[in-house]
Amino acid sequence: MADLRVNICGVELKNPIIPASGTFGFGREFDEIYDISCLGAVATKGLTLKPRAGNPTPRIAESRGVILNAVGLQNPGVEHFIEHDLAWLRAKTKVIANVAGATLSDYEAICARLDGLVDFIELNISCPNVKCGGMAFGIRPQDVKEVTHVSKRALRKTPLIVKLSPNVESIAMNAQAAEAGGADCISLINTLTGLAVDIERRRPVLANNTGGVSGAGIKPIAVRMVYEASRAVGIPVIGMGGITCAEDALEFMMAGAAAVQVGTQNFTDALACAKIAEGLGAWCDAHGVERVSELTGTLKMNREGA
Amino acid sequence: MREITAAVLENKRIAENIYALVFLTEEEIPVRCGQFCMIGVRGYPLKRPLAVCKAEGTRITVCYQIRGGGTKTLAESCKAGEKISVLMPLGNGFTLRPEERRIAVVGGGAGVFPLIAALREFQGQKQLFAYMGFKNKDSVCLYYEMQRGEKLVLCTDDGSRGVKGTSVQAFLSDIGAVKPDAVLACGPLPMLRALKSGTKGLDIPVYVSLEERMGCGVGACLVCVCNKKDGTHARVCRDGPVFRLDEIEV
Repeated sequence: MADLRVNICGVELKNPIIPASGTFGFGREFDEIYDISCLGAVATKGLTLKPRAGNPTPRIAESRGVILNAVGLQNPGVEHFIEHDLAWLRAKTKVIANVAGATLSDYEAICARLDGLVDFIELNISCPNVKCGGMAFGIRPQDVKEVTHVSKRALRKTPLIVKLSPNVESIAMNAQAAEAGGADCISLINTLTGLAVDIERRRPVLANNTGGVSGAGIKPIAVRMVYEASRAVGIPVIGMGGITCAEDALEFMMAGAAAVQVGTQNFTDALACAKIAEGLGAWCDAHGVERVSELTGTLKMNREGA
Repeated sequence: MREITAAVLENKRIAENIYALVFLTEEEIPVRCGQFCMIGVRGYPLKRPLAVCKAEGTRITVCYQIRGGGTKTLAESCKAGEKISVLMPLGNGFTLRPEERRIAVVGGGAGVFPLIAALREFQGQKQLFAYMGFKNKDSVCLYYEMQRGEKLVLCTDDGSRGVKGTSVQAFLSDIGAVKPDAVLACGPLPMLRALKSGTKGLDIPVYVSLEERMGCGVGACLVCVCNKKDGTHARVCRDGPVFRLDEIEV
């Protein structure tokens, strides 16, 4: 059986499969369906300092091969998470606390609060669905660098992942900006901003008008961006965007990802993450790959290509 | 709560725009009335939340109305013998207290399906008075299933079958004679609003099953929330779909 362990910033994950933030809550509901301790880590629902009620409904729409969501960072607040969910989740697997804020000092404060309590902090600087949900920090490279720097300053123990938005001019430049700001790791891509129209009402389907596009249809865009970002930085990359099966996860790893996150597919198949982890092992065994970590960044581009 | 692969026994049209999907589970999975399933549709990332209409051992029936592309694809392309992906059982379901003996059951359109499950479950234990509304005679279905109570008032909007008018109107005009201890209801939002204003101040608990666009179906993604009176959000898939009507905003 192939060795599926991966090491990211000195933290060992039992495999590279991580449910993506916002699709898995804090893991409790999915743990009623299967034992989530089989997962490499869990990226939590986006946390803010204070509880947030989120956007009006409808918060979800569907288009061919993709979904759009505009939940608006509804969450019980970081203190509630620490008190009620953290110990339980940490006993299950590694914890990536996804955090968001409206101001630089929000980011600094929430990072300081979680430092040493979780295995990673993932900065959400790219939520497209709230006016002050970090999107303002996720677009221009200088802002990415600044929010990363301020957050990193608050951390003594926990490694910092910066989650990048794809809705930018250059993913490579933003990846470099995160690295320059002190990020220990980057994750990408967050959702692409989209619009779904109800033609009978001539209105957007989502109450928020626009929403974040995710699902199988965005995968080639995400793989390309993971490739470009991973070539631009020296820190590890966690890839995501439309992964539905082990083969999809392998594309991301070969393109440069050390681990991957799975989001929308958890809705299509509640067992998706467990199945992908299993499928990854089976693929490695069938292909004589002893350690899955060997695959990261092994993609060779065609010389004649762009 | 389990993610399973189930075998389709039949998927047939039972009224205008309404289909009944019957599938077999490998093992018996207990389902309470008012609970629902998330049913996978080939080519669509999101499963469809459909109320369980009948649970007979390993044989589960869900009925659905064609609303959009997903349910249309389900109706047209899901055939007997096929395997489907099902997450079930989900949600809280209808619960009645022992002292709630005389029960009015008020449904409209696709809202009658979870109520049929309630009529089946509470038959013989409670006195049931059903008021079921449809658009017209062509949309009436499962008539025999609705007759399990002491009384059935069938309504259509155009009067082409049964009483002309809505099920809420029929129920409210009967409320003094029936004197229900509780009401179970499901239907479109205007119907729930009419029921809310019609029962205001009467001190009769009204339990409604809500419908909302859903993501995960298990309470993790926070997509399908409704507004509660106390200003908080409740998850329709997990905290509901059944709520007390006086505790939520409709």
